[in-house]
Amino acid sequence: MTISDDLILAKDIIQVFLKGKKILRMYPQNNPIYMKTIEDSFNKFDDFFTYQDTLRYVFRQNEILYDTEQVYENPEKEDNLALFFFKDGLREITFRKGLTANEMEDFLRIISMDFEREVLEDDIVTLFWEKDFENIQYVVDETFLADEEDYESQAMSELEEKHKDPDNLLQAYEDAFKQEDAKEIAVVQIVETELQILFKELEDDAQDKIEKLNNILFEILISVERKNEYADVATSLIASVEYAIGKGNLDAVRKLLVRLKRLTDRQDIDGDLLFQAKRVIYFAGSEKVITALGEMLDSGQEIDEKLFDEYIDHLEKNAILPFIKVLGELKTIHARKIVIDALVTLGPKDILTLTKGLNDPRWYVTRNIIYILRNIGDKRAVDHLLKTVQHTDIRVKKEVIRTLGELGGSNVLVALRNCLDDKEIQVRIAALKAFSNISSDTVKKMLMDRIMKKEFKDKSFEEKKEYFTTLANWKDSEVLEFLVKVMKKRSFFGRSKLFENKAVAAHCLGLIGSKKVLPLLNKHKNSNSKLLREYAYTAIKRIDSAQ
Amino acid sequence: MPSKEELKIQKYAQDFVNQLSVVLRTSQIHDLNNVAVKSNIEKMMSHVSALLGMENIITLEVRGEFFYFNEYRMRYPLEYLLNFDFLMREFKKRELGSFIIVKNVTLQDMQTFIRAFIESPYATNPYERIEEKMKGIENIKIDRLKSIVEEDFLDVRKMVKKSYFNAVSFTKGVIHKIKSGEKVSLKKAKRVVESMVDHILEQEQLLLGMTAIKEYDEYTYHHSVNVSILCVALGQRLGLNRKMLTELGMVSLFHDIGKMEIPPEVLNKPASFTEEEWKVVRKHPSIGSRALLKLKKLDELSIRSAIVAFEHHMHYDFTGYPKITDPKKLDFYSRIVSLADQYDAMTSARVYSRVPMTPDKALSLMMERAGTQLDPLLFKFFINMIGVFPVGTLVMLNTKELGLVYEGNQIFVSRPRVMLITDNVGNRIEGRVIDLTEKDDKDQYSKSIVKTLDPNKYNINLAEYFL
Repeated sequence: MTISDDLILAKDIIQVFLKGKKILRMYPQNNPIYMKTIEDSFNKFDDFFTYQDTLRYVFRQNEILYDTEQVYENPEKEDNLALFFFKDGLREITFRKGLTANEMEDFLRIISMDFEREVLEDDIVTLFWEKDFENIQYVVDETFLADEEDYESQAMSELEEKHKDPDNLLQAYEDAFKQEDAKEIAVVQIVETELQILFKELEDDAQDKIEKLNNILFEILISVERKNEYADVATSLIASVEYAIGKGNLDAVRKLLVRLKRLTDRQDIDGDLLFQAKRVIYFAGSEKVITALGEMLDSGQEIDEKLFDEYIDHLEKNAILPFIKVLGELKTIHARKIVIDALVTLGPKDILTLTKGLNDPRWYVTRNIIYILRNIGDKRAVDHLLKTVQHTDIRVKKEVIRTLGELGGSNVLVALRNCLDDKEIQVRIAALKAFSNISSDTVKKMLMDRIMKKEFKDKSFEEKKEYFTTLANWKDSEVLEFLVKVMKKRSFFGRSKLFENKAVAAHCLGLIGSKKVLPLLNKHKNSNSKLLREYAYTAIKRIDSAQ
Repeated sequence: MPSKEELKIQKYAQDFVNQLSVVLRTSQIHDLNNVAVKSNIEKMMSHVSALLGMENIITLEVRGEFFYFNEYRMRYPLEYLLNFDFLMREFKKRELGSFIIVKNVTLQDMQTFIRAFIESPYATNPYERIEEKMKGIENIKIDRLKSIVEEDFLDVRKMVKKSYFNAVSFTKGVIHKIKSGEKVSLKKAKRVVESMVDHILEQEQLLLGMTAIKEYDEYTYHHSVNVSILCVALGQRLGLNRKMLTELGMVSLFHDIGKMEIPPEVLNKPASFTEEEWKVVRKHPSIGSRALLKLKKLDELSIRSAIVAFEHHMHYDFTGYPKITDPKKLDFYSRIVSLADQYDAMTSARVYSRVPMTPDKALSLMMERAGTQLDPLLFKFFINMIGVFPVGTLVMLNTKELGLVYEGNQIFVSRPRVMLITDNVGNRIEGRVIDLTEKDDKDQYSKSIVKTLDPNKYNINLAEYFL
């Protein structure tokens, strides 16, 4: 190999560095361009090592030397490979024969990192050091690590100054004879059981430390003497909460919240301390934290639901809006269910805020909020729910009708009655089902009036059946008489519609379960109408079995 | 980073050395025909075959306190610690420096070596005895333990010294920067610690020697660096990996950062503290913890640093400070730092009654505290690391010469290397380093330590000898 060949390959490898820096930053590891770059780069090294055992570069500020020859030069500050290595103190790098493809790739990956970015907390030398390369060695100038120039000489001069007076070796020699004999401190050998204890210690040590930090910060919080220090410690606690949530350590935050709650519940608490403690509690329910929780829930990561519930128990009302926001963004049903349950727990702390979710543009969020309000069962939500009755999405309408039915109230009656005239049968049926929860005479009367109206017979069988099913909630004589009347009604026109009415009336009688109506039902058991026969038969069976 | 193949070789090498130790240990008790011994030898031979299949030759060499396998220094896992220590001790006893196995080694060859090895320690010249017994064995070679040539260490000593002072200067800079609200470069901090970790992995005793000099003006900064060095050295004995050692080095370097808020007139007070001053001093763990949390975004390192800064004076039994309402077991690193901190503080001339203790006295006192203030198990490791006669101890030998302990011996802890500073009638002499494991013609140790003294009492400038 001639010297010029040598140089050519050393220069080529510098180009490998430059190309690698760009390519590895741009493409993921499985990209063909990335893989080709790695392969080509390794081949260059391989070529070099066919002839030489080591490849050593020397770095100067603006140039790189191979042997004594310049193989790279750049007087600019920007994109200067020499300066890139030089500024962190690297002065030489040597690649040894035996360099593996993995080592080379790791090396290229390190140099392709964007060191200008703040997030990188390590410099290039630290990253090399952490890799502990077997076949890449480097020489580093560490002078810049010292904060003072020639600190070493200063310290040495100080020592010399202290020892201006000569030592007194002769005295030491004489005194030595008067000394007791040297104590033999028994050095006890480490035994197997102790090693096992140590293994356990090391194993335990690998666990998350955030809970310990929280305990420490809490102790500091309650012990600081200057009021302005509360804010300082609370800020650290907030950072700790954020960190713990990021690591999925809900339990650590829960335990902290328990302690903070206990603190804020104290009567004698200092006002500033109370404010700062609450700041931390509020942060635990902030949008930042709740969004992170949502991501955690969606990721499929296993979550202890009991723990999650306990965490929610300790949050304040400020967590409601972030949870509503997250509810609309979650992708998995399981995660949504957990958040819905969380809002059921949190909602009572501020119903008004929760009802803001009814205005969410996403229909499913609105429906979920209605569901949550129904589960909470606070009548203060009714006025807000009534506004949702006119929602454009039928699924929302059905949910709100059901909820209104369960919550009840005078305004609800009017709204539900209006729903009975809705153009959508699903809405009308939902309204009828909702009426089942309202056992007022007004509703009963309204239903009977509607049934008696001429146009009732034109309703679908399904809707008719729902009317009578609802009516069955009133098991009184008035309803019984009404039903008997329907059953006995005769007409020459529209007989099939009439049979439908009788069938659903029979169904209703069956639901009421009165034995008195058995003769009437038995009579219709042999009706010409198949529908009526079947319904009468089923009703009789229901009453008989109930006896 | 080692390739998969290299990692495999390293693992086989560790297993081989561990098994060699097991074989030699069991062979000292049972005959080579014993079933257990035979089975252990067979197991070892399987490691040998595997290694020879990959490496062609097996060279196990003792250099200083470490084994080198085919030129690479071995890092052993914690579970092999006892067997590695045993083997090192047995090799040194026999002055055996290298053990080389080449291809075609047979079971008979190995049995011959084991026999020679176990019979040799009672011989006057154990190495020669092994050599004689091994005559005619072509596939196993041995070599005598090489004594350490002082000149080889001069450059290394210079580098270690430079790293040490860089670290002190950096620590001083960090404290000043935090005080004045400037940004602190943690990148630099990592570099400082990595350099120390490297030196400890390669030249532990040299860096430990640097901690023996305690008379610098800027005690706080030197103390921080000394504690960091002692912690990393102890961490190494505990089997921590490089990353963990760096973490430990970092957290220990900053353990006393809270002292920056203690007024200098209190910190450097020549007399004992008043109750009021103690109150101020006792706040430094809490101040330090808070300061560290402000340095950077919360991550594992800052969490660990804050914990250690807070706990390093709490004591193993929580009798220290700060007092807290709900004490939980001290962090593993806090317990390590407590040991290093107490030892360095006690042997320094600034705190603890303002009178420095000799290292051996400090260790005696710490031994009394093991189980109460200090973690007893970690203390065992600590004392094994520091040695019975730590570096810097002024000693008188049975030959009536005075010397300074220059470098510990991990295996024979009471037989360190000593720099002679007087002859046997008390005349000053040019420092010559001797090894107390050296024996005379009658196979007796040539020199032994009989007395220890405080070098400070006689104005002996350790730096003159060590730096």
